[in-house]
Amino acid sequence: MTGSKNYSMSFDEFQNRSRLYVIGALESDELDEFEEARKEFGQKGEDFISECYGLHEAFALSLRPAKASSSIKDRLMTMVRQKQQRG
Amino acid sequence: MPDELSSAIEAETEKPTSAARAPVIEPGEPTDLELMHGIQREDPDALSKLYDRYNGILKALILRVIHNESEADDLLQEIFMEIWNQAKNFSAHKGKPLGWMVTLARRRSIDGLRKKQAYARAEERLQSETEQQPDAWVINTTAEEITFGDTRMLVRKVISGLPPAQKEAIELAFFRGMSQREIAANTNTPLGTVKTRLELGLKKIYDGLKELQHEL
Repeated sequence: MTGSKNYSMSFDEFQNRSRLYVIGALESDELDEFEEARKEFGQKGEDFISECYGLHEAFALSLRPAKASSSIKDRLMTMVRQKQQRG
Repeated sequence: MPDELSSAIEAETEKPTSAARAPVIEPGEPTDLELMHGIQREDPDALSKLYDRYNGILKALILRVIHNESEADDLLQEIFMEIWNQAKNFSAHKGKPLGWMVTLARRRSIDGLRKKQAYARAEERLQSETEQQPDAWVINTTAEEITFGDTRMLVRKVISGLPPAQKEAIELAFFRGMSQREIAANTNTPLGTVKTRLELGLKKIYDGLKELQHEL
């Protein structure tokens, strides 16, 4: 399990690793194997990884919304408009 | 901590009442995707609307990572500026706008936490916060709660079904950016056990969300 090129990952295992990958919890040796498998599974693998990013959205939606300081939006929009004026 | 978390979630669990999806967009209001396209065309009004819709969720996520109100506000502003600057990299083929924003916000928050070497301070604050408010994954009724109501309840229902140890492992990985080894060290748990908890917990959430999506 240390990045051997002969190690062939099943799609089930790839799915497990994908869920860990999107939350940044793969260890470096697992990451190497995952990237190898990702190439092998191609578009099917990419589609599954994209689906897994839905976990991020779910975790965020599960939190209690927090109120931002009222000045933040004003500062943000000022910065955006200044950036636009600078071109 | 996890037991308290579970109790709090269970105590607040309600049944979904309708088939709404998050977010509920009022008639005539642009969708998230339309707002992203507006930002890609450099329309500040689109960013303004997206900010109004999601600042509470993103601020909550940032706070969950860095545990500091004023730093969270600054980071929120930086993140929306990055959304403006990076909007051209967003592709609807790869996911929804909220997912993209959350991914960006989480990465920036964890980077911020590491850069400021605030682990120790955050540790203390997390401990204190957890004692006072053991409901990291529970929400109060606010205007945003109403808007996101059903989806939020469904997500909560899925997460509340996890065993506490799995919930804790996911919490440390997602909100604290910890690796499996760091979680193992932090919780005095064998590395293999941490891996299993993460895999099982994430699979349950993933499968649960898929099932609930079909129910909606």
